[in-house]
Amino acid sequence: MENLEQVFNQIVKDYSERLYWHVRRMVGSHEDADDLLQDIFLKIWTALPSFRGEAQLYTWVWRIATNETLNHLRREKVRAALRFSSADELVAQRIQADPYFNGTEAQRELAKAVARLPEKQRQVFIMRWWDELSYEDISAITGTSVGALKASYHIAQEKIKLNLSDAHVSK
Amino acid sequence: MTKRNDISVPDGYFQQLEQRLQQIPSARQEQAPRGVRRLAPYFAYAASLVLLAAAGNLILRKTAVSEETDAQWNYVSYLAQELDPDGLVELKEAQEPTDEDIRSYLLADNSISVELIASLSYEENY
Repeated sequence: MENLEQVFNQIVKDYSERLYWHVRRMVGSHEDADDLLQDIFLKIWTALPSFRGEAQLYTWVWRIATNETLNHLRREKVRAALRFSSADELVAQRIQADPYFNGTEAQRELAKAVARLPEKQRQVFIMRWWDELSYEDISAITGTSVGALKASYHIAQEKIKLNLSDAHVSK
Repeated sequence: MTKRNDISVPDGYFQQLEQRLQQIPSARQEQAPRGVRRLAPYFAYAASLVLLAAAGNLILRKTAVSEETDAQWNYVSYLAQELDPDGLVELKEAQEPTDEDIRSYLLADNSISVELIASLSYEENY
């Protein structure tokens, strides 16, 4: 058990900050990212005894984090649907009202455009653009082929461009 | 467009986050043992079934008792209203009819033959 605790503490040291930024980009607010990170590491601790080393620890940790985040977003989507609103719009609104956002207006618009992407495309775009993971790493984490990821990233880019130009025209 | 530095966190957040996350193992160990935790939903399910059965039993018992009491009370009311007051005393003092009582009753009924009554007496004795 002590050995497991040491491994867990090392995972916290190595991954908590990186995972925070990923989750924060996905959910759009510091508070939600903070709550979700607690759940993610709770899951990592619970699943750690069953980690067999077949996957790299790095991939395994990221996979838990991304799955938990997607589950969180899906739950939010259901809750939003029950209130007849859109979960993606909710994330965009959070970015707009985020007190810890200190970028330019263009960066805010980009973040909002990313929030309006479908979950999977959003995930791929964030992992590639902000987390700077390689396609090979993203493929190992998500279980999607590199080719499909490249296509997904390209479509996401096109949608963002369109969204940004729409936002620019409407201003 | 620079990718980073567009979002920030409260001062000292990551240090505090790391400490908080590292408390997860000890916090989990303070809770119930893993096996018990895993079986807890099944225990809860079994307990709820037992509770439901007990509640059902209690309701049935209560209902049955009250029906019995109602029937007794109705019977007493009937006796008090329909029969004369002495009926209750008669009912209380009434005894099992003897063979002789039965034979006399049957003899009084003209539709039953004497031979049949005699044969019944014969079967009784042998």
